[in-house]
Amino acid sequence: MRSSFASSIVSFLLLATPAAAHEFWLAPLRYQATTGDTLVVRAFVGTGFKGETKPLAARRVVRLEARTTRQIDMRGLGVNGSEDYARLVLPDAGGASVAYQSDFATIELPGAQFDAYLRLEGLEGPRRERERTKSTAKPGRERYARCCRTWIRGSDLTRATDPLGLALEVLPSADPTLLKRAPFRVLLHGRPLAGALVRAWNRPLDANNRPFDVATRDSLGPVYQGRTHADGTVTLPVDRAGEWLVSCVHMAPSESRVEADWQSLWASFTFARPARPARR
Amino acid sequence: MRRAALRLTLSSAFATLLAALLVTTRADSHSQPFSWIDLVAAPDSLRGEVTAHIVDLAHELGVADPEVLASGAGIRAHETELRTVFAKRLDLRGDGTRLAVAFGRMTPVPEKHAVRVSVALARPKASTLEVHGPLFTWEDTHETYVNLRVNGRLEVQDLLDQGHLEARWETGARRDPAQVVFRFIREGIHHIFIGPDHILFILGLLLLGGSLQQLARIVTAFTLAHSVTLALATLGWVQPSARVIEPLIALSIVVVGIENLRAEGGRRDLRAPLAFAFGFVHGFGFASVLRELSLPTDALGIALVSFNIGVELAQMSIVLTVAPLLARLRIWRPAAGPWVLRVGSLGVIAAGGFWLVQRLLAG
Repeated sequence: MRSSFASSIVSFLLLATPAAAHEFWLAPLRYQATTGDTLVVRAFVGTGFKGETKPLAARRVVRLEARTTRQIDMRGLGVNGSEDYARLVLPDAGGASVAYQSDFATIELPGAQFDAYLRLEGLEGPRRERERTKSTAKPGRERYARCCRTWIRGSDLTRATDPLGLALEVLPSADPTLLKRAPFRVLLHGRPLAGALVRAWNRPLDANNRPFDVATRDSLGPVYQGRTHADGTVTLPVDRAGEWLVSCVHMAPSESRVEADWQSLWASFTFARPARPARR
Repeated sequence: MRRAALRLTLSSAFATLLAALLVTTRADSHSQPFSWIDLVAAPDSLRGEVTAHIVDLAHELGVADPEVLASGAGIRAHETELRTVFAKRLDLRGDGTRLAVAFGRMTPVPEKHAVRVSVALARPKASTLEVHGPLFTWEDTHETYVNLRVNGRLEVQDLLDQGHLEARWETGARRDPAQVVFRFIREGIHHIFIGPDHILFILGLLLLGGSLQQLARIVTAFTLAHSVTLALATLGWVQPSARVIEPLIALSIVVVGIENLRAEGGRRDLRAPLAFAFGFVHGFGFASVLRELSLPTDALGIALVSFNIGVELAQMSIVLTVAPLLARLRIWRPAAGPWVLRVGSLGVIAAGGFWLVQRLLAG
């Protein structure tokens, strides 16, 4: 486990940086749904598990899928500009997973700001490469994509633990609503990613298992941050009740050097742990 | 382990405090840089709504407190100015010509902290309807969601931002070729006269003077070369980055200035080969402009040729104005000729050098 006071200071000096440095996550209107219920999932962008609703941009959607009794392609079902990313009636009590992957957007930050952002996100490889090539004074040109997933628990745990094939995916290997310490894994194009910084935030839900208003609630620091092992796994202390956001960023040299020098994938996984350990 | 957990808790608490302060500041400035343009096309009309955040509208109006626009009363108090803002910012075009829009009722949209205005206009007899944006540009993060419904179907779902400036709908109406020719000739001329780098490159080529035959050879070489790359890039076959092309255009100006000083001593005149070589670079520069002009896909060839004709007309007007003046000057005041050449070339080198450094640093 790593944490430092300095990194907190850096992180919040960076709060004013644009979209790429912000977490992006999916969440249902309510973390509880069973057969016949309509599940509505929205997307949010912000820092400290606080932020704003991000409307659906049809042009940016690469994947938008729901996993219930089967995998459903939700692309083309949502309306461009709407707050609702997915709206579906649950066919059984097994729970559901909704996943979204965006296309790449580009951003450019001044050199110093870009390096501070790399430090904040624990992206040591790109930071060292910029130092090695003496390019820290140059602006950071980056293209980034979002890979998010939310899970509404039910009787079928595989709807959370089976990969959906996002470019970067963070997901639990066992039930994080039951265990005090739950194993998570990070997959890059389906393969375990070692050494990736994983962070987790936690906040309470209201009495109806709804997240508090994302724009007006308090901002939080992560309750955990640590790097994945060689097999891409990391164990998170998920003993607190409430809504959880687990996130991870991966950055590599850009596949499109005309567009950007660096390319990042931002993965997130949200779920809710009931106030008392769930029994099935 | 416990110590580490305590440290994380402390730093998280500190972080939370700072976050609360900073996020509040951000929210006050603008946390939702979004706007929405929703249109419905009927056979004779276009109707719809435009929704804009009160922070963006307040910024455009110069109103210090955006919240005054959050209520019906506040909107009514600023109705005239708001209509002016919407009229200025909403850019709908039919085949590239901006359309007049009538604005109707304005209402607050509390859940979006926004103002919504209804819009209506006669449906243009154009083959392409374009929505240009984003609606606001004072923040580079602004995004405009564009939806267009035809016969109940969503024909256009697009997002306008700084990297994507136009949503378009092919209406199915037949395009008037004469209109395309006229528009793109005008755009070609316009581009040359608003681009000091191209003008300076042409002026640089003229400073040394020469016979009509020499000048014709230089201009023809430049035209041939830039026509090739303009076509290649516009058709999407070769598209080098502007980060490379823009500094090279600046470099071409420096080189032409240096060449003038070198050739002054009676050495071989290399302007025609230089014009040919750098013409390829300038062609890519022209193409980047042309691509931003919502090219009609069904009249791409006409647009391309017309734009090139416009570029040539503008270039020829510069050549036919400046070359005779320089020739006349050399006849009237033979001593002034070398002076004009040296000072002019140094000016060309200085300007080109400035742009070169500026574009390299920006790249």
